[in-house]
This record gives sequence, structure tokens and C-alpha cells, in this order.
Amino acid sequence: MADSILTAENLSISFGGVNALVDVNVAIARGEIRCLVGENGSGKSTFVKIASGVYHPSRGTVQVGGKLLSPGDPRAAIDAGIQVVFQDLALFDQLSVAENIAFSVLLNSKNAYVGRKRMRQLAADVLEIMEVELPLDDPVSTLSMANKQLVAIARALCMDAQLIFMDEPTAALTKKEVNRLLEVVLGLRDRGISIVFISHKLDEVFRIADTITIFRDGRKVGDFEAAELTQAKLTYYMTGREVEYPAYKREPREADEVPLLEVRGLADRLHYRDVSFSVRPGDVLGLTGLLGAGRTEVALTLFGLNQAVRGEILLDGKPARIASPQQAVASGIALVSEDRKTEGLFMEQSVGHNISSTRLDTLLNKLRFLDLRAERELASRMVQAMGVNNKDIDILVGKLSGGNAQKVVIGKWIATEPRLLILDSPTVGIDVGSKAEIYESIQRLARAGMGIILISDEPEEIAANCNRVIVMYEGAIVATVSQAERETPDFVERLARMISEPTSQLAAPIQEGVPQA
Amino acid sequence: MNSPFRALFGRRSTQVERYLGVLIVIYSAVVGFQNPRFLSLETVFDIVHEGAPTMILAIGVLLVLVSGGIDVSFPAVAICSAYVSIKLMWVFGLDALWFMAPVSIAIGLLLGLVNALLIHFLKLPTLIVTLGTMSVYRGFMAVTLGTSQYPVATMPKSLAEFGLANIVSVDGEGSSYGLSVFFPIVVALFAVTWFILYHTMLGRAVFAMGSDEEAASRVGVNLLRTRLFVYGYTGALAGMAGLMYFAAMQNVDPVALQGFELMVIAAVVIGGAKLTGGEGTILGTFLGVLLFQLFQSTLVQLGLASTWASFFFGSVLLFSLAMIYYRQRKADQRNLVFRIG
Amino acid sequence: MENILKWLKANGYESVLAGVNILVLLLLGLILGDSFYSISNMQSMSTQVAEFGLLALAMGLAMLTGGIDLSIVSSAVLAGIVGAEFLTGNVFDLESTDPTLVMGAAVVAALVTGLLCGLLNGVLIAKTSIPPILATLGTSIFFTGVGTVITGGASLPVRVKAFFQLGVVTVARVPVVFIIMVVALILAAIALKRTRSGRRIYLYGENSIALRFTGVRHERLIILLYAVIGLICGIAALIMVSRTASARVGYGEAYLLQAILVVVLAGFNPFGGRGKVLGLVLALLMLQTLSSAFTIMRYGPYMKVFIWGAMLLAVMFLNRLMNRNKRSTRGDETNDAGQTVVTVEGSSA
Repeated sequence: MADSILTAENLSISFGGVNALVDVNVAIARGEIRCLVGENGSGKSTFVKIASGVYHPSRGTVQVGGKLLSPGDPRAAIDAGIQVVFQDLALFDQLSVAENIAFSVLLNSKNAYVGRKRMRQLAADVLEIMEVELPLDDPVSTLSMANKQLVAIARALCMDAQLIFMDEPTAALTKKEVNRLLEVVLGLRDRGISIVFISHKLDEVFRIADTITIFRDGRKVGDFEAAELTQAKLTYYMTGREVEYPAYKREPREADEVPLLEVRGLADRLHYRDVSFSVRPGDVLGLTGLLGAGRTEVALTLFGLNQAVRGEILLDGKPARIASPQQAVASGIALVSEDRKTEGLFMEQSVGHNISSTRLDTLLNKLRFLDLRAERELASRMVQAMGVNNKDIDILVGKLSGGNAQKVVIGKWIATEPRLLILDSPTVGIDVGSKAEIYESIQRLARAGMGIILISDEPEEIAANCNRVIVMYEGAIVATVSQAERETPDFVERLARMISEPTSQLAAPIQEGVPQA
Repeated sequence: MNSPFRALFGRRSTQVERYLGVLIVIYSAVVGFQNPRFLSLETVFDIVHEGAPTMILAIGVLLVLVSGGIDVSFPAVAICSAYVSIKLMWVFGLDALWFMAPVSIAIGLLLGLVNALLIHFLKLPTLIVTLGTMSVYRGFMAVTLGTSQYPVATMPKSLAEFGLANIVSVDGEGSSYGLSVFFPIVVALFAVTWFILYHTMLGRAVFAMGSDEEAASRVGVNLLRTRLFVYGYTGALAGMAGLMYFAAMQNVDPVALQGFELMVIAAVVIGGAKLTGGEGTILGTFLGVLLFQLFQSTLVQLGLASTWASFFFGSVLLFSLAMIYYRQRKADQRNLVFRIG
Repeated sequence: MENILKWLKANGYESVLAGVNILVLLLLGLILGDSFYSISNMQSMSTQVAEFGLLALAMGLAMLTGGIDLSIVSSAVLAGIVGAEFLTGNVFDLESTDPTLVMGAAVVAALVTGLLCGLLNGVLIAKTSIPPILATLGTSIFFTGVGTVITGGASLPVRVKAFFQLGVVTVARVPVVFIIMVVALILAAIALKRTRSGRRIYLYGENSIALRFTGVRHERLIILLYAVIGLICGIAALIMVSRTASARVGYGEAYLLQAILVVVLAGFNPFGGRGKVLGLVLALLMLQTLSSAFTIMRYGPYMKVFIWGAMLLAVMFLNRLMNRNKRSTRGDETNDAGQTVVTVEGSSA
């Protein structure tokens, strides 16, 4: 390990009683591309945060270039040549491209004067190394997501990075943009820079990885030469036999003719168009595609937060207008949104108050005051039903782990007894144990006759829980998968391909909802 | 588009700047129509003289807003530094601007630094922190130094002369008027601030911190140092503005400018600075203050009593705010951005 | 006993505040003795605290939502001016009109003005998304402007003698204005704890986005809240006018700072979502006793300004030490989701 740039030994950390990382050892060589793969909650992002000094591990050490890194100190990591391109990028929207790229370097130089020329030169040099062209003087806010990504990488390079972590950099990119990004990454490796690439798109992983490190359930499964792995083997290591999720299968019901929800030719102003699908009682409809494909936006429309400009929404076969979340809730629609912390939870309020927040209108006594006893009963019931580990309903939600907090969010919506439950990326950022319990809840609710729309970009998650699947790309449906098709053996691999190579679907025969050009 | 504006400022004008520019031109035209004497050099010189202290205070407020904070203590800082510097000078038996100005600026700087430290370490809304320091500064000064006023007869001669000094004098019919020495001071401070904000790393760090504090700290911006600069510089500007205010008023009044902070903040906000930080231009600030000053000093020429000033300014402020934020609200709705508040 | 302990634990901050209050009261008793603990001082204290207590309540309600209302004093002053217009003889001929009718009109006018002021704030904040601090900054200048235009900057003298009585009348030696304040505080406490809207105000202050995603008419809630705040300012205005027998622009400017001080002292989180009426009561008690004590000890107004400012800073410093106002950003997430949301709370409150 003489030429290793980063060596992590015995890293462990736990949050809220859940072990997020257990005894992890990773060594990364100079000039290699290392891919970290694993399901949501397997611990890969936690590892990145420890290695970059954001988290302080409860045990273990990180060495960079043979020197011990002081734990929990981002500055020290930066000085040691470690850069992280986080998913949120952390760029300054109002500053220009050149300023964003050169910012850190100029900040650390002794010269307080910002020469426009020098700044542009610095930025131009780095972009040349990356072999990309960007408008140097435009504010970053005007760039596309893919170009912002490149600006963030350029900034890291500009800081003389020896090792760059990239956390799901391709999540929001199209195939073409992904190709461009991967070219850049390969180019950097040729210059001796190490890249740690986190992605759950396996085709990308196989294209660029020298070594693949697999995480599962907070532990490292192992390091593998990319050449010695196949997709099937990788998937096997990622999920593991013991966490094989039982696949959901919908039993036929009477009254199947009229679906619970039917959407015909729906389009909003900016994000999607010509979307048609239906959900029957007991359906778990998977809605998948790249980040930004329009999945979340469709969900927001069904919940009254994004007005459609064309098309129809039918509930029980009757046209419905959903202009606000109030109307959605009144129609029996519930949305567990993507961003749990900002859209789902009141972190500094008790579990009880969080759960009852959707039901206040029904928790009234004769004098129209809140019936506090009924409120507590409801909250206790939901906490039990969802299997939140801490049964104390007076505890603040912020004190729960991510997985248990998510159960509270789902619980607050189950409390409204919805007929249609939309779950947007419900297992992002939660531990594997809670994940299995959430899958169980989803399937139980569906069996009881609830219609469910599950939005996710993990093919395994979709395959395990959905009986029908829709794949979206750039605002349009590119594939619709029936229950029969979904039960074919190599479905997960095919679905992964449908998501990452949506354009190939366009040529495929007999597809419903082919998008307009 | 190669407009003259772009040639001069090296950037495109912002919507707010255009809107304010048009508003000021229309208003001036209306006043000028009612009272042709309004459109004269004398009016311009008057506004420069009266508005100079406000302009300087506004520069500080702009800086604070760009950094993502808000400061209401600056009038207190202005009055305290100027008053203390005068009292201190008398202790030495002097009467000289060369003593007062540096001392007043130094005291302002010091009080500003105190603000910065409290804000940085308390991590609470800057409004509330500076509301506290405002009261402490004013109260402490009044308790220790008293609240005696010094009208023109008893105020320092050098200060009174400073207030009346002109760099250019024009002899009009019956009266002579001139361009106050305040003019080059304000121009210089505008230039220095512009240079710092746009051409030094410190200035860029101020924008970065206001734009996204967490991201700024991640890429290595020293938040404490940046805050010390922002509030210290604002305090120093206030120290200068305090003396100029006493000089312009020809009266040293230690309880003056109470409630003035909200007016100046309003002027800067009209000029396009966002409370969320990272946004704001020097030109916008200038136009905002100019509008405020026009309402203050020219309503009489429209045949309205000066009591209408707050009414007009408040109305324009509300209208502008509604316009700016409603536009953003619509954009947010389109782009599905959900914000706190 | 167990119940008491449980209560103390659940209301830790309020308990500390109550303890400090008792200490202050004992200390003042020792230092000032009967000049403090006299019926007349108690009466004058409870009269003084009334209008201010109402304004503090108004500020507290705004702060529960993570907002702030910089226009409480100016809207109260404007409401007072509009009410006083009826009491000066400018509207009715005082000689020939029944004083009860005049006073009734004045009361209604003041309350309606307050309500409208609050409504304007609420609509601006809810419907145009101007941050509360800016909206109320704008309206405070605007209300002051309207008041100045109406009065021409002069003081309006109240000529209806009976109206002064409101500030003086007592029931069982308790000033009526004090009773008004107490009733308002009790109503607020009940509304916050036991009604839907009350609960939603806390939830809004905690996370307004999540409340939207919960299917609550958040805009109506905010408009309603600011309207109530305006109404409370209207009530405060009536007390002001009756106590000072006049109304003028610029009255009570110091109240703004004191209101914020009381609310912060009461344990409200300036970022919203936390605060109890009980805390407000204790903070008011403390501020008023200290204020009266300073008056008895002949401290000047600037000494008070200094002390209030220092107290505000000290309380925030202590809160910081006790780590109460820190939003918990716990590292329990194993994945950084791309955020579409800009939180502006740090700078807007």
C-alpha cells in the first residue's frame, strides 16, 4: 500500500443507535478510479463524510499520503488534497463561473486583490485540463445541472486535489451528459488524480471503475477488480441473500374496471408532458427514471402543488380538479415527499404533533377545541402500526434516526386513511433495517386495497415492491411495464438499462406513451 | 447589447435599477413641471449636502445585507462615535477635524467589531443582536456622557466649518451656493467600497457568505473574519457619517437619528438588496437613497407639506417590495421551489 | 408531588424564569421595601404593563411563526390617532353628541384600524411572499406616514373626559386595563394550546414548507394571525390614548425594542416554533418590576434603555450557552439528497 493516497482503518460511526458504519477499511491508490456501490443506507455516503472530515468517527483513523488526518476537520482534509463534489454542489449562484472555480484558490493565496485576468486564467486553465468549455463570465445560476457539476469539479481541481469524491454526480444527468462527465473523470485519472465515484447506476460503474468497493448494511463487503465482477454478481453482493426482499404480487380484485386514479395526457408548464397511467386499488405503481425526469413533478401535480396545464385527472372514473394540497387530502391522496427534512417533518416538534398535523380537523371535541387525548391515542396507534423504534410520542422527531423519522412521515399520512399514497424516494438516506420495514408496510397497505405510487431510482426497490412500472425520461413516459413483464427473471437488469439508457427505449416496439420529439 | 450603461459599469443594469431610474426621472419631471426652480444645480447641490450622511450609512447597510445580515445599530454607532470623539477632543482642549475624524471612525470601527463578534458567536438573528447593541451603545453613552446638545454657537468650530465648506461655489442671483466637500468624500467611499466588493477576495467572500453560508465555509471562507470586516467597515462608515451629520445639521445632538435605521434599510432594500444575502448593487443603493432624499426635501415644492414624506416613501417601498417578491413567488411556483416563510 | 416535578421538567425554561422572578421580587422587597410593595405602586405597575403587555403579545405571536412584526407600535399609534379623531371633536360635535356614542365610535374606529393594519401585513406576507421583516418595515413607515398626514405631526388632544376613565377605573382595586391584558393573554394561551389554528401556528413557525405539504391553508393562517396581531395593537391603542389623553406620531417608539426583549426573554425562539404565553407572562412581570424599581431608584430613561439592551444580549448569550436556539442539524442522514429548497430563516427573522 505504499502508493495509496488514502487509507481508512476500522472506521465506525453510529447515529441514533443505528450503526451507520462498522469497522470499515478502505485503501485508495493514486490515480485510480474507485467506485463505491451499495443500496440506500448501506453507508457509502457516511464513509465519504468521514474521509472528508465532515463527520467525526467514533472509532478508526484516516491517513492521507501516510499522514494521519485529524478527524472531523474539513479544513485539514482540504489541505491534504481531498475534495468532495457533494450532490448539492455548494456553488455560489450569483457569482460567475470563473469566480466559482477560482474562489478557493484565490481565497488561500496571499494576494488580496482579485485580478479579473488572473481569475479567468486560473479557471480557463483548469477547464482546459478537463477539456470542456464553459462561459467564464456568466453567473452560475444560468448553467444547466450538468455544467454546474463540471464547475464544481473544476473548482476541486483548481485546489490541487489529489483525491476527489463525487457523490452521485450523474443522478440528474442525461446519457449524453453522463458520457461527457465520465470522459472528464477518465481524463483526470490519466493525470494521476484519484477519483472516488459513488453511483448506483451499475453500467456507469462498470465503464469507469478500476476497483469497486461494495457496501452493505454499514459494512464493507469487499473490494473487487472491475474485470472480475459481473452485474449479476455485483447486485448479489449489494443486496445479499439475507436481505432479499419479498416481491409484491397483486391479486386480482372485483371492481377492477374503474381504476382509483387515472391520468390522461397530463402536462404541466415546464417539467413533463403527455403522461398517462392508472392506479387500481392494490396496485403499487413504480414511477422511475433519472433525477429530473419529471417523476417528482407528476407527484406534486397529483398533490395539488404543481398545476397541470393539459390533460385530465380522474378519481374513481370522475374528472377531478386538484388545485391545492387541501383538495388532494380531501380526495384521499397523500404524498410522502422526497425531502423528508424540509417537506415532511417538524424536526423540533414531538412525534405526536407531527403525526396529528394532518388530522387536526378531526381531532376536535364538542367545543371545537383540540381533543388532546384523542390526539395522543392516534399518535400512539400510528407509532405502533409503523414500528417506530421509540414508542414515546413526546420525543422530538429530530432525535430519531432517519429511518424512524421516515416512518413518522408515513404514519402521519396513513393517519388520514388515504386511498392513494404517493411515496417519493422513501428510502433515501435510511438504514437497511428500516428500509425492509418500510417495504413491508408498503406491501401490507397495498394488499389492504390502497393504491400506491412508488417513486424511486433504485431498480431493486422498484422490482421488489411494484407490480407495474413506468419509466420517465425528460418529462415523458418512455416505457410502461405490465405485471406479466415485471415477473420475468432478468427484470432488474432490464429496468436498470431502461432507466440509464432511456433513449434506446424510444426505438423499442409496442411502447405506450411514446413522447413527442 | 452594448448600451452606454454597460460600457460604464461593465455589466447589465438590473431591473430594480431601471425601475428606480425611471421613477426618479418621472418624479423629477413632475416636480420640475410644478416648480421650474427645482430643475437647477442648486437643488442638486442641496441634495448632495443633505443626503451625504445617509448615503454613507446606506453603503454600510448594503454591505451588511449582501453578507446576509441586517444591522439596526448603525445610527447609534454614528451618533455615539461622533459625540464621543467631540467630547474626547474637548478633554484635550482641541478643536480640529484631524482629531475628530480618525477618532470617530476608530470608535465606529470598534463598535462594529463588537457587533460582528456577538453575531458570530450568538448565531442568532442579526436584527435582534444589533437591536440589543443599539440600545447598549445609546444608553451607555447617554448615561456616561449625558445628552447635552451643542447648537452651532457651541459646537466645535472646525466641525461647523466642515459642514459649510464647498469645493465649488456658484454665485446665483441674491444668494450663492456651492458643492459641499461631502461630495468628494461620498464619491471616494463609493469607489473604495466598489473596489473592495468586486475586486478583492474579501469582497467576494462577503457575497459568497451571503449567498450560501454553509457552502462558503466549506470552500474555506473564514466566516468570522468576513463578519469582522463587514460590521467593522459599516461601523467605521457610520463613525464618518455621524460627524458629517452633525456638521450638516450645524447642531450636535446626541439623541438624533432615532428610528432612522429603518429608513436607511428601506432605501437600500428598494435599491434591490435582498435580505437573503448575496444580492445588491451600489448603484441600486445610490438610487434608493436618492429617491428617499427626494421625498424628504422636495415634497414642499409639489405644494405638499413635508408630513407626506413617510406616506410617499412607505407607499413606494411597499409597492416595490410587492413587485419584487411577487415576481419571485411566481417564478418559484413555476420552478417548484418551496421556501420558508 | 410527582406531577409538579413532571411539570417543572416539561417547562424547564419557564421554571427558571419563575425562580429568577421570585428572586428579583424578594430582592426588591429587601432594597425598596414598602415603596415597592404598596397598593399604589402595584396599581401603577399593572396600569403601565397593560398596553405594553398587549404589544409584547402581538410581537410574540409574530415570532411564533418565525416572523417579526416591526409595525406593532406604528399600527397601534395609527389606530390611536384614528380613534382619537373621534374624541377631539373633529368628527362629531362634542357638545351635542352623546359621549357614549362618541366613545363607541372611537373604540370601533381604533379596533377596525388596527385590524386593517394587521390585515395589510398579513396579505402582503401571505400573498406576495415579502419576508415579514421587510413587509412590516414597509408598513411601519407607511402607517407612520398616514398618521403624520392625518395629524400634520401634531398631538391630538382627547376632549371626552369619560374616556380618560378607562385608564384609571379599577375593579376591586385592579385597574380595568390590566384586566383587559390578562384576558387577552388567557385567550391567547387557550387558542395556542387548544385550537387547530394555534397548533398550526407553531407548526408553521417550525417548518412552513412541511405545513404546506401537510395540506393546510397556510396563507389563510398567516393572514388570520396578522389580523389578530393588528386587533391586539388596536386594543393597546385604546389604552394608550386613554392613559395619555392624546395621540401623536412617535409615541411609544421604545416599545418595539422592549417587546422584542420580552419575547426573547420569555423563551420564544426567534426562528419560530417555540414559545409559551406563560413565559411571556413571567417575562412581562420581570420587566415591569425592574422598570418600576428603576423609576423608584430614579434611573433616567437612558439608563433603562441601556439595561434593556444589555439584558437582551445577556439573555441571548445565556440561551446560546444552554444551546436552546440551535436548530439541530444532526448527522443521521447517510445520503445528501439534492435540495430544491432554499431556507432563508437565518437571515430573515
